This record gives sequence, C-alpha cells and structure tokens, in this order.
Amino acid sequence: MAINPLIDSIAEAPAAEARPGWVSTMLTFARRRPLGAVGALVVILMLVVAVSATYIAPYDPLAVDFGGMLAPPSAGHWLGTDSFGRDVLSRLIYGSRTALLVGFGSALLGATAGAILGVGSAYFGGKVDLSLQRLMDVLLSFPLIVLALAIVAILGNNLPNLIMAITIPMIPRCALVIRSSALSIREMPYVDAARACGFKHTRIILRHMLPNVMAPYLIMLTAFLGQAVLLEASLSFLGLGVQEPTAAWGLMLRGAAVEFAETAPWMAIFPGLAISLAVFAFNLFGDSLRDALDPKLRTL
Amino acid sequence: MAKYIVKRFLLMFPTLVGVATLIFFLMRVVPGDIVELRFAGESSFASEAQLAQERARFGLDRPLWRQFVEWMWGLARLDFGRSMWTGAAISEEIKLRFMLSLELAVMATIVAVLLAIPLGVIAALKQDTWVDYAVRIFSIAGIATPSFWLGIVLILGLLIIFKWLPPMIYTPPWVDPWQNLAQLIWPALAVGYRYSAVATRMTRSAMLEVLREDYIRTARAKGLVEKLILRRHALKNAMLPVLTVICIEFAFLMGGLVVTEQVFNLNGLGLLFVQSVAHRDYTLTQALVLLVAAVFILVNFLMDLMYAWIDPRIRYR
Repeated sequence: MAINPLIDSIAEAPAAEARPGWVSTMLTFARRRPLGAVGALVVILMLVVAVSATYIAPYDPLAVDFGGMLAPPSAGHWLGTDSFGRDVLSRLIYGSRTALLVGFGSALLGATAGAILGVGSAYFGGKVDLSLQRLMDVLLSFPLIVLALAIVAILGNNLPNLIMAITIPMIPRCALVIRSSALSIREMPYVDAARACGFKHTRIILRHMLPNVMAPYLIMLTAFLGQAVLLEASLSFLGLGVQEPTAAWGLMLRGAAVEFAETAPWMAIFPGLAISLAVFAFNLFGDSLRDALDPKLRTL
Repeated sequence: MAKYIVKRFLLMFPTLVGVATLIFFLMRVVPGDIVELRFAGESSFASEAQLAQERARFGLDRPLWRQFVEWMWGLARLDFGRSMWTGAAISEEIKLRFMLSLELAVMATIVAVLLAIPLGVIAALKQDTWVDYAVRIFSIAGIATPSFWLGIVLILGLLIIFKWLPPMIYTPPWVDPWQNLAQLIWPALAVGYRYSAVATRMTRSAMLEVLREDYIRTARAKGLVEKLILRRHALKNAMLPVLTVICIEFAFLMGGLVVTEQVFNLNGLGLLFVQSVAHRDYTLTQALVLLVAAVFILVNFLMDLMYAWIDPRIRYR
C-alpha cells in the first residue's frame, strides 16, 4: 500500500548499509578534527611505549649507579641521570605505565560508577534521587585533591588504593552530568514500553537507558583521563601516591629533583614535560570528541 | 525572592552537617590514631596503660557517638576545639593560614581574569584562525601543566636567569607590601595560568554561542559600533558561565593548593591539611575539611544570588 513514494523508499532502504564501519568513522574524525587526531595519536604512542617498556627502555629503571649520579644528558643517558644514578629516560618510560594504569583505571571506574548512579538516580526519581543527590552534593563540596588525599590517608597508599582515591571524587562529577541527560531519556516512549513489558529495573537501566547516555559518558570519561593523570602525579609528588622505587612521573619530581634543581635541572624538567604532554594529549582528544558528540556539554 | 534566599541559605546547613558527619566517621576508620603515631615518633616503647592514658586525655576512649555529639555541639557554638598535635586552639592555627590562602586565591583570580577574558574573547572573534588555535593550545597546555611543576620551573628560571630567589618567609601585606608581593606573585602566576586556562575556554565557548544570537545580528544591522556590540551585547550575556567557572575555581583554590604550597614553601591551608592528615590530628583535619567545604558551599550560594543580580531574567521562587 503506497502512501507516498518517498516515505516508501526510505522505509525500504536497508538500514544496515548506511552505517559506516568504525575504521571510516575514525578516518572521518581524524579529517574533521586534526587536533583531536594528534591527541589520539600521542595517546596511542604512549600506550605502545608503556606496553613495550621492557624492550625500549635503555636501562633498568631501578638500577642504581653511584658512579654516575646527576650526570647531564649525554649519548649514554639521553635525559641524564638522577641522584641515585638511575637513567631518567628509562624511568620516564616505565613511569608511563603507572600514569596510564592509574589514568585509565580510575577514569573508567569513576565514569562508569557515575553513569550507573546518575541513570539510576534519574530513573527511580523521588526519594532515591533526592538522597543520592544530597550525597553527591556532600562529595562535591570537597576539592578533588582534598578528597583524594583524605581517602589515600585512610586506605593507605598502594596502587589499587590510589586508583580508588582518584575514582571516588570523580563519581559525583560524572553522576551529575549523566543524570541530567538521563532525566529526558526516562520520559522516552521506549522506556515506558520496556516498563510495560514488565522488565526488571536493572534491565531497563542497563539495556535501555545506559546505551543512550553513551555520548556524555564518553565525554566525561575522556575528560577524566587527563585529570586522573594529573591527580596521580600530584599525590605521588606529595609522597602519598606511588612509592619509591617504582617509577612514576610525580615521584620523579619529588625531593632530590627540587633540591638539585639548579645543578641538575633535567631531573625536574623532563618528568614535568611528560606529565604535561600526556594530559595535553588526553585533553586534545577529549575536547574534539566532545565537539563531535555533544558540543553543548560542558565538562567541568 | 527573599523567600528563596532564606530557603537557599538554610539549605546550606544540611550539606554542612553531611560533610561534618562524613569526615568525622571517615577519620575514625583510619587505622592508627594520633596517640600511637606520637609514641611511634618518639621511638619509645609505650605501655598499653600509657597509650590508654593519652587516649583518655583526648577523649578518644569514650564511645564514638558521644565524641560525635560533643564535637557537633562544639561546632554549633563555633568552637572547633584544640589541635590534638600542637595543643593550640584550632581557630588560632587556621586564622594565619587562612589569610595567606585567601590572599593567594585572590591574586591568582586577578591573574586568571586578566588573562582569560581578553584571550577568550579574541579567540571567539577570530574563530578557526591561527589566533584561535594559538589561544586554544595555550589554554589546553595550561590545563595540562601541573601548577606545582610550573612553580618549580618558575623558581628555577628566576634562579638561573636572575640569580634571585623569591623570599621564603611570609610577610603580611600590611607589614611590607613589596616583600609580600615578591613572594606571592610567583605562586599566583603558576596557579593563575591553570585557572585562566579553564576560564579562557569557558569565555571562548560562551562568546561563540552568544555571537550567533539574533540580537547580535540585529545590533550589527542597525549599524552599532563593533566595540559596543561586543561590550554591551555579547560580553555581558556571555559572562554568566564564565563567572560560574571563576567562582568554582576560587572556592577550590582555598583548600586545593596542597601541592603548590609545598613547592613554594607557603604555610597555607593546604599544607596544614596535609600535615594534619599525616598526624591523624582528628580535630584539626575535621575543622579544615569543614572550612573548605563551607567556603565552597558559601561561594555557590553567593553565585546563585549573583546570577539573579546580573541576569534579571533569572527569577528564583
């Protein structure tokens, strides 16, 4: 029964073919947002470096050499050595493992927990929403680093606890943004339909609502990546994050790096550059992703 | 409106009570209390009886709920008690540091506003030109650079280029304003750069949105001078989100400068907080966390009021 030839042709067109593959999606992204592509490239490069650290690092990052302490950059040690004679470049390379592990770990955990809480809060509404929002308000009234510091002090500092400490302050920030998107999704007919079908709450939340807040979720996730790396560096710098002798960028800036800053500036400069570059790349990528997915959303 | 203000003001208190409760019990979960820590520091073997005696002195032997009620009752009378570590009154401990942190936060805000608004406006006006790209890279770099590292580099630069180090001891501005400025301008610059980066991005995106509005086109069509369009029509309307960012960052600066203070050897609230957490100084940590949260909540409250004042369209009920 032809109602209108145009509508019929649209209805009959196979939907699956119109959907581009992920390779071409990525290529389009790279062409339209060159800055974001550069950021993504740097992130991928860092991932490669972190994974293959054992093969590309010229020295053992923990090998102490008291004969070659505080040596300036040279052909043997490209970025010099620190106050224990350890190779700065090798420690930077191994440090990327710590940074990326903490960065991806806590950003993923924080954004996911935040998304589930945000969607749940919006879906149930009423008392659940109100009490969750009050709890989030309380958590939000701490500066990021103050809350992370307090949690590290409570849990004790090892790597899993550090990731936990960075994750918790991120949860309310993500929950807030996701909740506001989820509020409008709750009113969608398909959610009503799902409820009418008698699906359980968990199923509606996980299968029907969560996939539809993917855009703000991804945006928050990428925004958290850089912040998490920065936070880890700050905590390690304070001596409350990763512990010596593990290689971590923030830790490399601590103590001797400041003491000998005048005579051995390479100790203080290169780890800082590494942190900046990593966070810079994450932010470039995250920004472009936001522009592409939802330019109105403000990630703060 | 008055009703809204009162309601909004009263709503601050449940949040504060929530913060107080959370931090009180969070501190109590920490393994190892101040008494153990102090005796461990003296590396002497204290008997159980001695430890118990010390605990009794701090009132740590009483049931948790009584400690909590007593602390809350003190708070209600604005009595924060004494620091468990130094024994000094907490209000005294905090007063000096609060001054320093406040001054630094104000200076960093000035640096940030002076940088952010012109840069953000220019970037928005010249969108997608090299000026815009330069400003954006400058601001993304500002967010990416840890301010404590920037502090180290600043000190290093002063030392190597000018063979000069900023003074390391705090002089209040009313004693010697120059000495004060010579010390605090560097941390203010280091922190202000990051702060300005956030504000620049917000200014740019808010301006971009406003510049596309119809009333801007109308203003241009009626032949208004570009300067006036920018100042009276565009900037005024773009300021709201920028103000939000500036206020939120300001509130965070009051307690969040933990790391930068370490680098510049500043005895501010952040440093005090790190020490108090390390010492398990329950009373001081609780008071500090509450103070930082209170500043944040208060700034948010004032922000809401300012919105209504700046933008007459916003009417609270």
